[in-house]
Amino acid sequence: MRWFGFGFNAFGQICAQKEKSDEGEANTTEVKIISPTELSTTVDGSGCSFKTRKIQASWSRRVSLRGDGDRCVFLAGFKSFPSAESSGCTDAFISESHLTLAFQDRIETWNLQEEDKTPSWNMEISAQPESSVSLPAGVNLPLAPGGYITSKPPFYYHLSAQLKAKSLALGGGHAVLLTAAGDVYTWGLGSHGQLGHGGLASEEKPRVVEALCGMPMSSVASGGWHSACISDIFLTEGGDLYVWGWNESGQLGLPSRGLWRASQHKSSQQSGEKPEESGTSLDGEQQEEDKHEEVFISIQAFPALLDVSQSCEIQKVSCGSRHTAVVTNTGDLYTWGWGEYGQLGHQTLMSSDEPQRVEFFKDEQMRVIDVVCGTWNTFAAAIKKDDAYS
Amino acid sequence: MASLWSKISAVLPASEADFPLQFSDTVQQSVVEVLKWCRRQLYSGATSPGQAALNAQIVLDVSWEKLNMGTWRHVDKEWRRVYSYGCLFKVAALCHEDPLVERLLQAVRTCDLGLLMGAAIMDDILQVIVRILQSEIRRSGEEEHQRDRAEVKRIKTESPHIPEIKDECAVPRIKCPSLETFKTSFLIPLRPVILEGIIDHWPALNKHPWSVEYLRSVAGCRTVPVEVGSRYTDENWSQTLLTVDEFIDKYILKKDGGNVSGYLAQHQLFEQVPELKEDIRLPDYCCLGERDEDEVTVNAWFGPGGTVSPLHQDPQHNFLAQVVGSKYIRLYSPEDTDRLYPHQSQLLHNTSQVEVESPDFERFPEFAVAPYLECVLWPGDVLFIPVRHWHYVRSLELSFSVSFWWS
Repeated sequence: MRWFGFGFNAFGQICAQKEKSDEGEANTTEVKIISPTELSTTVDGSGCSFKTRKIQASWSRRVSLRGDGDRCVFLAGFKSFPSAESSGCTDAFISESHLTLAFQDRIETWNLQEEDKTPSWNMEISAQPESSVSLPAGVNLPLAPGGYITSKPPFYYHLSAQLKAKSLALGGGHAVLLTAAGDVYTWGLGSHGQLGHGGLASEEKPRVVEALCGMPMSSVASGGWHSACISDIFLTEGGDLYVWGWNESGQLGLPSRGLWRASQHKSSQQSGEKPEESGTSLDGEQQEEDKHEEVFISIQAFPALLDVSQSCEIQKVSCGSRHTAVVTNTGDLYTWGWGEYGQLGHQTLMSSDEPQRVEFFKDEQMRVIDVVCGTWNTFAAAIKKDDAYS
Repeated sequence: MASLWSKISAVLPASEADFPLQFSDTVQQSVVEVLKWCRRQLYSGATSPGQAALNAQIVLDVSWEKLNMGTWRHVDKEWRRVYSYGCLFKVAALCHEDPLVERLLQAVRTCDLGLLMGAAIMDDILQVIVRILQSEIRRSGEEEHQRDRAEVKRIKTESPHIPEIKDECAVPRIKCPSLETFKTSFLIPLRPVILEGIIDHWPALNKHPWSVEYLRSVAGCRTVPVEVGSRYTDENWSQTLLTVDEFIDKYILKKDGGNVSGYLAQHQLFEQVPELKEDIRLPDYCCLGERDEDEVTVNAWFGPGGTVSPLHQDPQHNFLAQVVGSKYIRLYSPEDTDRLYPHQSQLLHNTSQVEVESPDFERFPEFAVAPYLECVLWPGDVLFIPVRHWHYVRSLELSFSVSFWWS
């Protein structure tokens, strides 16, 4: 399994700067990586290469969780010190200010801004599965026994055991929770419809997304101002993707007025006419926009089913700040939303309000099996097609 | 003649060491790192403007996301400062080489975004820079006013339909009352009144009479927030950012033939464009308030005929000064609030559900017996709207008003 990354790389979190100029600044070409680039394999003390089983990324960093042997974490990006104290780590979660590590017997949250000798917060965990986390393997960060962990003091928040929390996605200002029964709960800021309750009100406590009741979900994801979930494939006609929240950059895969306007501007610039000079062109533009009026969606306050690609089941979904990425059962990676840092992987800096396949993997005859989004970048795990069954 | 860059350099700190970049812990070190890259590039001769612009854009993008998280009130001021720094660095990158007008306009817009959404940095340096940019634009002489003159004459000849004001409902008028008279007869009893003759000395009404052409020349390239849609209680109401030129073309002159309403409303234009501030004066009567004079909020209201502010109340006293054009205004006392059916929601509880000029008496029967005062406000008039007095405003023609909210 090989990991690839594309998008924001100003801190070398995808691939390290090869040449540092005298002033130590980022090179233009390397800030935005527009095509999937393989993450360099890390090598440990004994010369064995580091198999990455999980990746998590924040705005300026990336954490890789080693899948074998010592189970260490490797940190890349802004001020990253390889962490030796992390052997035996079972899970990792990163935010812009803190790194949370889970071990067999404890969970620790470290402040990435200081070189502290002790974690900012920690808790001991017992081996018993007597907790609100129903996963047999232990915790599922940011879920912890009895609650969840954030990146600001007091760090730990309690969750009712009745919820039977299975996984939790923390977005820009909101949270999306998946329960063992397949229900979706949301809370936090709602100003952009990201809670999916049909309005713009914020919620202080977890509230079930009623529109999805009766349809068990298998995974949830959250971005800056949007949310997504996948319906369980073990029940009838599963593998569908539902999205809701803000669509200003097309991150919901629905028609976005902002993107339409930007593309109109570009085409009129290319054809050489200045909109202000010819009165008729302004007229035509306004009429065109009025025609599409009902179609544009800037806020989707209830979950909407998004057709990513015909006759495909969605297996994984992840959200960055303003973009979305999914992996299908056919091993394809689709991305859409804000693309100005190359985070869509389509070899361009354009945003898109329509799901598009990342052709790189198809061209390389690779099958994508996992995707994780950082704030402004995307990481995908892929295997060679003929290795699929090995 | 000094180059644009040398003029801008002159207002920036002399060296990198003199350039402050201090932030609270709210701003993560990784973001400060990018700001440091920008600062270094600003003072090093070696950087390409493309690189500098790229790093400035990173700062703008990351702070923009913070500014849009949650309600405006809760946005940490530190992020607004970061946003302003982003604007500053972007403007510097745009102005390095002899920029053409297109670039200058982009730089002005960038300054305006910083002034509108950021927080003042380095002694309000964006304000200083935008002034330099505006004089640079004027020097390169983009004179399109000739054809506008003909169009503006077209607007002026339209004759609006003036509603008839019944004597028994008319807002009383008084010419230049003394402070004492105003206080005793109107302020303390909270009675609306139109003050005549108190703004005759405003340059906006004599030396620099405000007009569409004057506005274009002083602020044409400046970016301002515009309300689009018939009224703020409507579903399709929204706000957008346009230059004053674009606003005039699209919503005053209606060059694109559209019929959507646009209103430059409730905007502190005079903070953004200090030249316009010199054309107005703070009404003397504001000194009768308890608060300081610099706490008076001054807003501009500029739009075509037909703009409507639905019936609502404000938490402060208001002097509404009419400079250009005329407005129809109706006032209801806070004592009659029950007859005005305010919205229940938190967001709109200060706004009535009733359409004042075409009320639905089936849904709002009591409105028919709610007593009111009404008037047509003409240039030179100043309407005193006492605190929490309900008011409805409709412009009868191209109109420019200035409101003073004081306590």
